[in-house]
Amino acid sequence: MAHAPMSVKDRKNVLSGLKVREAMRRIAVHLPESASVDEATRCAIKFKVSAILITGREYQALGVVSKTDLMCAYYAGLPLETPVSTIMRSPPLFCGMDDSLDAALDTMRSKGVHRLYVRGDDPDQAIGILAYPDIVGLLYRYCHKCEHNTLRTRKVPSIFNFSDTFKVRDVMNPSLLVFREEDILSSVMEGLSAHRIGAVLIRGRNNLPSGVVSKTDLIMAYRHGIPPTAEAATIMSSPVRSCDHNEQLVSAIQKMIFSDVHRFFVYRDNPDNIVGVLTLTDAARVRSGSCRACVSSRIRL
Amino acid sequence: MGLTARDVMDTRFFTLLPETTVAEAVKAFRRAGEELNRRVFGMMVTSPDGELLGMVSMYDILILMRPKHIHIWGEMHDIDVSGFMDECYLRAKSIPVGDLMTTDVITLTPDTHLLQIVDIMVRKHLRRIPVLDGGKVIGIVHISSVFFFLMER
Repeated sequence: MAHAPMSVKDRKNVLSGLKVREAMRRIAVHLPESASVDEATRCAIKFKVSAILITGREYQALGVVSKTDLMCAYYAGLPLETPVSTIMRSPPLFCGMDDSLDAALDTMRSKGVHRLYVRGDDPDQAIGILAYPDIVGLLYRYCHKCEHNTLRTRKVPSIFNFSDTFKVRDVMNPSLLVFREEDILSSVMEGLSAHRIGAVLIRGRNNLPSGVVSKTDLIMAYRHGIPPTAEAATIMSSPVRSCDHNEQLVSAIQKMIFSDVHRFFVYRDNPDNIVGVLTLTDAARVRSGSCRACVSSRIRL
Repeated sequence: MGLTARDVMDTRFFTLLPETTVAEAVKAFRRAGEELNRRVFGMMVTSPDGELLGMVSMYDILILMRPKHIHIWGEMHDIDVSGFMDECYLRAKSIPVGDLMTTDVITLTPDTHLLQIVDIMVRKHLRRIPVLDGGKVIGIVHISSVFFFLMER
């Protein structure tokens, strides 16, 4: 008996039908346009945020200063007293509370941004923020409650058990940016900017991985008056947080969350052989959105 | 002349330097509390010559301690988070207080009137306000000092 070929339904996934208001967060931190770059760096460190909304006198959203912008200010040698309005990107990109999450994600992808601000009743004010990690959190909630979740029928107590099909190697990004301990911070910043990534691996004189320099490390160096001509070794975080490429994805996610880091470097055979990077957002997105129930819901026989 | 900050300020106070780490600040909070015989919820951060740079409170330190991905793992009820706070503390303890202090600090002069102080404390939800003279810290006014000074007259 012949079977008709499978066709894929148009883009149905766990986010279908969900709105921005279900994933957005309230804005925890914003700064006035008169604030200094120094205040913005302190905010980024203290609140562990990747971007800060800059507001006007009437709290209207004027622009955004991201860690990348702060890193660029460091690279350019701007004094810490410089007003944030000098380096902010303006205007912020907005979405509406009742926009679909799919549409918001499309905007983020097409505009190449990691976050959208959510417009309130006053069209000039932002009342919330929508970033990739918020959507990841939502995916977890929906996956857990999904009526097609295979665990419900198997009576298995943990949602993680069906993720044993995923290994770190399936999700990691094999492209890697590597610098040496003696490379200067300006070169590291050029690399981060050109490749649009958040951190680089640092190798020691023996060619073994010795540390990581992230945008956060660079912003802290900026605040502490370390010149961009300093060597990477002076500010790198050490040791390198890493996981085995054969490790189960869920275990790696759990470790990243536990370690309060956004990325792990991935090794093969031994921790000195780094072969890729795994970020929390990518890992969690793949794990949550790729459950068999969701995959099957996209396929029509 | 009416009652002013000079009449209610505590001239015995403790300060931190901006390079003081969170771990050292926690010990300083505890030590100051024991010496003053009351809980110390925050301290002024000054330069070595006594110029006020900012204030750091328990709240500021707790903000730093709060896990970065809490909005994700808050959804993951089946993750074992035992030992998590120890990890958070290990990461936070070496951060200098200069990186997390509040620099937008409201201050008083010794001649600020007591009722003006009440007004500032109520409007800005402040419990302690530094008193400066020529840019240098000379005291601190606590809400409890103002309260009992006014109510037990």
